[in-house]
Amino acid sequence: MNKSFIQSSSLVFSVAVFLVLGISGVAQAAVQTIRAEVNGMVCAFCAQGIEKKMRSLTQTREVYVDLRHKVVAVELKEGQVLSTDTVRDLIKDAGYDVTRIEIVPETAQQIRAAVRGRK
Amino acid sequence: MRFKPSHWLAVLLVTASCAAQAGPMGFKDSWMAMGDFGPNWREAWVNYAVTPRDAVGVGALYMRSDDKTRRRDVAELTYTRLLQRWNSKDSQANVWFLAGAGSVEGNDFSGARTLLSPGIQLDYETTRFYVAATARLYRASGLNHDYGSVRAGFSFYEVDYEETQPWLIVEARRMNDLSDKTEITPMLRLINKGYFVEAGINNSRQFRFNFMHIF
Repeated sequence: MNKSFIQSSSLVFSVAVFLVLGISGVAQAAVQTIRAEVNGMVCAFCAQGIEKKMRSLTQTREVYVDLRHKVVAVELKEGQVLSTDTVRDLIKDAGYDVTRIEIVPETAQQIRAAVRGRK
Repeated sequence: MRFKPSHWLAVLLVTASCAAQAGPMGFKDSWMAMGDFGPNWREAWVNYAVTPRDAVGVGALYMRSDDKTRRRDVAELTYTRLLQRWNSKDSQANVWFLAGAGSVEGNDFSGARTLLSPGIQLDYETTRFYVAATARLYRASGLNHDYGSVRAGFSFYEVDYEETQPWLIVEARRMNDLSDKTEITPMLRLINKGYFVEAGINNSRQFRFNFMHIF
């Protein structure tokens, strides 16, 4: 009886762990951030235009700007879609040039940690 | 302060709205306010960036001679155009066209005269270094108060985007007819995102304060 109970409990626990990991895996995969490398971004007073433009988008959850490494990261809300061309155009409207842009499965916070780790 | 009502209107617009490392305009669809205050030169303006390269606004300027006997009060509409920008990985350089059209009054002539003030500004900056040169004509019938300035400076250290960055900036400037001196002012500059302030004491031991804000 006890052995059967322990086996059942183990099975339930394993399934629960599998489900939790699986769900978190799906959530992780849903994170989308547009990461751009930007030329000319040397001053916070000027670069704030980029941040304001990005934050004004309804799709945006978080924005990260790094002047040292010339990186702009725009994390999207779950289920939202935003084209890299839109981000590129907004950065251009703010007065800068995008040299590289990509969609990455990381949060803005993770990009911030990675970029700062390169100091 | 000997600002005219129109001047106060410009200042009011500035203060009501919000309570050059940087260029003389903000990003598209933004407002930018600027003030430059000293005993012989007081200026305030606000402009709106209608495109990424064009801004229109209003400004007020008070000029006074070194001997404090003559003064000028200017109210003008302004236009700013980014003629050229070079963005590279670690620097940015710009060529700006500046223009104003309005009226000038003085205490040594009667009435108001039409004033035109075209100019050009060149600047180059990195996260640690800044240099700029500005030349601007201030012309009206019988008046020539052309203005020129150069600025150079450095930041004490690099900062992250959300931190305040301190700079040491030295400016030399001249104002034709009203002053025979070259005014030299070392200033401490602080930048934090949309806030930009400078304060210093010039070679005539006069206090100066500048600010810019984008909103």
